[in-house]
Amino acid sequence: MDMEDDLEEEEFEFSRNYFLAKESGSGSSRKKSTHKLTDIDLVDEQELREAASQIEPKHQNEIVTLIDSYRKLYPEWLLALRCGFGLLMYGFGSKKAMIEDFASTTLTEYSVLVINGYLHTINLKQVLIAIAEILLEQVKTRRKVSSRDLPKSQQPLNSQSIEDLLTFMDEVETEDNCFVCVIIHNIDGPGLRDSETQNYLARLAACTHICVVASVDHVNAPLFWDKHNVHTQFKWCWYHVPTFAPYKVEGTFYPPILAHSGANQSVKTATIVLQSLTPNAQSVFKVLAEHQLSHPDEGGMETNDLYSVCRERFLVSSQVTLNSHLTEFKDHELVKIKRHSDGQDCLYIPLAADALRKVLSEIS
Amino acid sequence: MAPPSPIVTDTLSQSSSPRTADNDLQPFFVLHKASSQRKDKVSTRQGKVRKRNELSLSSSQSTKKLEGSMIEECDHHLFQQLKIEAFGNVWTKTESTIKDVLRDLDASVFNDIQQWVLECFNATALIGELSVAEATRSFPALNNTNLGKLFTALVITRNIEFVDDILTFGELGHFLKSQGCHVAVLSSIEFSVKNGIAGCLKALLREFIAGAIDVADISILASWYREQDRYNKPLVLIINDLERCCGSVLTDFILMLSEWVVKVPIMLIIGVTTTVDNTRNILPSQALESLCLSKFLLGTPAEKMDAIVEAVLVKQCTTFNIGHKVALFLRNFFINQDGTLTSFIRALKVACLLHFSMEPLSVIHGRLAEDQMGKSALSPETMLKYMDELPTDGRNQMVDQTGKSMAQSLSELLTVRKLWSTAVLCLHEAAKYSRVRLLDLFCEVLNPDLYLSRDFDYRVGDEKESRLSSTSDPCQQYSIMQSSTFICQIVRKVRDLPSGRLHQLIKTWEKLTADIAEIHEKLKTFQSSAICEDEKSLRKSSKDISKRNASRVSPYVDKDSRMLISQAVSFIELLVRNYMKPIECMPFHEIFCFKDVEKLQSVLIGDPRSRIQVDLLESYKILRCSCCNKSGNAILPSKHDSSIMYSLAQEHGDLINLHDWFQSFRTIIVQPTTKRKQKTKQPSHGSGDQNEASIQARFCRAVTELQITGLVRMPSKRRPDFVQRIAFGL
Repeated sequence: MDMEDDLEEEEFEFSRNYFLAKESGSGSSRKKSTHKLTDIDLVDEQELREAASQIEPKHQNEIVTLIDSYRKLYPEWLLALRCGFGLLMYGFGSKKAMIEDFASTTLTEYSVLVINGYLHTINLKQVLIAIAEILLEQVKTRRKVSSRDLPKSQQPLNSQSIEDLLTFMDEVETEDNCFVCVIIHNIDGPGLRDSETQNYLARLAACTHICVVASVDHVNAPLFWDKHNVHTQFKWCWYHVPTFAPYKVEGTFYPPILAHSGANQSVKTATIVLQSLTPNAQSVFKVLAEHQLSHPDEGGMETNDLYSVCRERFLVSSQVTLNSHLTEFKDHELVKIKRHSDGQDCLYIPLAADALRKVLSEIS
Repeated sequence: MAPPSPIVTDTLSQSSSPRTADNDLQPFFVLHKASSQRKDKVSTRQGKVRKRNELSLSSSQSTKKLEGSMIEECDHHLFQQLKIEAFGNVWTKTESTIKDVLRDLDASVFNDIQQWVLECFNATALIGELSVAEATRSFPALNNTNLGKLFTALVITRNIEFVDDILTFGELGHFLKSQGCHVAVLSSIEFSVKNGIAGCLKALLREFIAGAIDVADISILASWYREQDRYNKPLVLIINDLERCCGSVLTDFILMLSEWVVKVPIMLIIGVTTTVDNTRNILPSQALESLCLSKFLLGTPAEKMDAIVEAVLVKQCTTFNIGHKVALFLRNFFINQDGTLTSFIRALKVACLLHFSMEPLSVIHGRLAEDQMGKSALSPETMLKYMDELPTDGRNQMVDQTGKSMAQSLSELLTVRKLWSTAVLCLHEAAKYSRVRLLDLFCEVLNPDLYLSRDFDYRVGDEKESRLSSTSDPCQQYSIMQSSTFICQIVRKVRDLPSGRLHQLIKTWEKLTADIAEIHEKLKTFQSSAICEDEKSLRKSSKDISKRNASRVSPYVDKDSRMLISQAVSFIELLVRNYMKPIECMPFHEIFCFKDVEKLQSVLIGDPRSRIQVDLLESYKILRCSCCNKSGNAILPSKHDSSIMYSLAQEHGDLINLHDWFQSFRTIIVQPTTKRKQKTKQPSHGSGDQNEASIQARFCRAVTELQITGLVRMPSKRRPDFVQRIAFGL
């Protein structure tokens, strides 16, 4: 069949691409690996962040028109939600503003709770308690007669387990039309990525009076879910809605690549730590650093050698004082210990030569 | 529709307000609470509209227009409500049909299992009843060591995926409960290392004993079972999927249960997806020894699929239909990729949703479904009534149709569909002998192209017939038709059937057509006329037949069965010719039939992996800007930054040198702007240094955006100067 052929062809193409890339990659990495990030004349991180906040957006008008064009889909989305499906938005660009606009214009009849999945720490239980509270409130106002057959309403919601909360949300009896809508920005975000959380979210989505609108940005997001999650719990309807809007909030927690991976950061922190130490401690560090710079091929400096050099220079009076300095260094990750091939423990500074020189010039 | 207001500007102003900014950094927040009444909202919105009008000093005409649009909006709301109801009606009906079908299919296995449960229960009951005090004593009350075995039923599911099994075992649980057993269903997720045996036990207690139990102690279960005559009923534990359980946890669990088997005579029902032998790989002999195994077999997914297609898409064909392409898509998806009923059912559900959401006429359909519960077809009058009730949206569509004629053809359509459905069922009955799946047959009879060509062939055949006055040998006609079709296969097989089976087939046809007088009569007339015609044709062309069809109809076949064969074949032929009109070839099929396969595919299977890449590589197609459109795929500086970066990344291998990447990005975005600057001599943003900062910032942001989409992986410690590409090709 044509379709099958196409599929096979596609898969073949896919694997071929991979190996081609792998091949050219290994070739080029050998050729081009000489270029270092440090070769770029990097600006200060502060300046970089400032510049980042002032980037002129491109195609502003087109983006407005594009996002506006999705408004005509709102009735379709509402229908899908009302018919028991979940909405899953994907496509390049931040969809946060668009989804919230959808919620505040179209979902006015329902309570809406937003989860910011792009944050790193999300306490799912707190979220569930909040949702359950809203639902309970809604049920009470609708039914007028309250607390008669609300399960465990005498037990405060925040003392219940996640299981109980989910059961409550699934089984609470109310009108068909009573929903709490949960918006999950970046359901593939770092705070929600583990399978346990995803399972709980799936069970939340499966509750009778909950509907879910979520967005994903990661290309591999569908791998989170097995068929049970997708077909019987989330019941996703996929909508491709690229917005090209900048990932402003979503990107806040990613360190800019030109700032964090460069040696600058570590130089700075190392300098700050060293400056807070006593001059003697600084000198001990200097001894170690100079040794490392002059013997780049050695694995590090043996503790005994360091002790003897430091004693000669009247930096330490005993092994105990040296050890206390070293502990301080180790705590701040200025110094690490490596076991040498002859069994001796060696001390070394986990910084590149350039960076180390910078540190030395800064503290002297 | 609400008046369009630019969202982005809204959000820009919002994000500047501290409240929203705060919200953005909260793990969660309440956007708004439910408004109490919709009517209030409409009126306030109306007020707002008016106010805005006064402000903008518009003429009274436009106010009228706006009021008109308000009415339209109300209409729209009503329409939406109608759609929801229609979907609800149709889907509830379909869903309950599917449930019934599956239950019927599993009924015999379920009964066997229940029988087994009873036998096991009787066997354990022989041990004698224990008093509460005896049962909850801490030392085991084992008198007979042979009895310390757990009765276990292994249910072979013959599925690759476990989703369908969840459904099946859920049903089994309900069934056993209704037969008076205490039933607990545990999913394999409970048997994870993380949960441990305590977690399993808690889950088990939660299933049996309602209410929160925090102590994992099986004696609680033992005493619960001895209370209030509960021990009169068997205890059954169903575990969905053996293969997905953690072996060691399950082993511990089984050993523990077997130690308590006298006090808690629990029976295990375990789903196995592969073979019984596999239990040996998962459980050690120690655990296996404590099990007393029996085996049960469930139906295959393909069988269940055919049953569902028959019940939902053929028998209930007036409720909801799918077009040929959609059917083909579903079939290929089921056979090639997915293989689960659950996703097939969901695909149907999505198709149903899209049907009501996209086709304004479909709301009539919902009403029909509602009314049809008892009646066979609708009178034109009732149809007309429905159409009058339609809100403007739907009515406009029918402006050029006089209502009556449409209603007429609608009720005709329904009658024709009934005939179609019976014809397909008859064909399926014949197809069973040639092992043609109903799903395949269904796809074929929906194909409008095949129908048209078939139609043409018949006409050609008729002409030939009249000109040459040749015998109407069905074989000739089928040879004109595409010989690879399933219908052809069916006909060929029917020719080879022994007479006993043919009799059987004709009997079933009689049964199937009993309610449909039109087809039933045809079958009868065939049966009576076949005798004389057959004789005639035999006399005429017995030589021809024996020459041409030596392989098909053996000359030694006796006269009686030859007559039967020709009778059966001409009946099939008649069915195909008269009733196999695909729904897409009929007027007004849009009301019942969903055809948009692309839409279904996009909503059902999101494809973020390739779609997001295409977004980036062809951003100008989505943004529809004038600046980037000119030169196709060339990397222009006006493009979106991440778009430029991703296009550049395509030129690298699996590793991208950050330095090189940055430099090429820089070259692209810097060059033309400096040119423009020179030409227009506009004051630049600042010093060159600041410009450098902004370039670096843009680079960083683009990398971050690509990182969020997961298309690149950040530098590792081992390779600090390289990012890794993740996707190769779309």
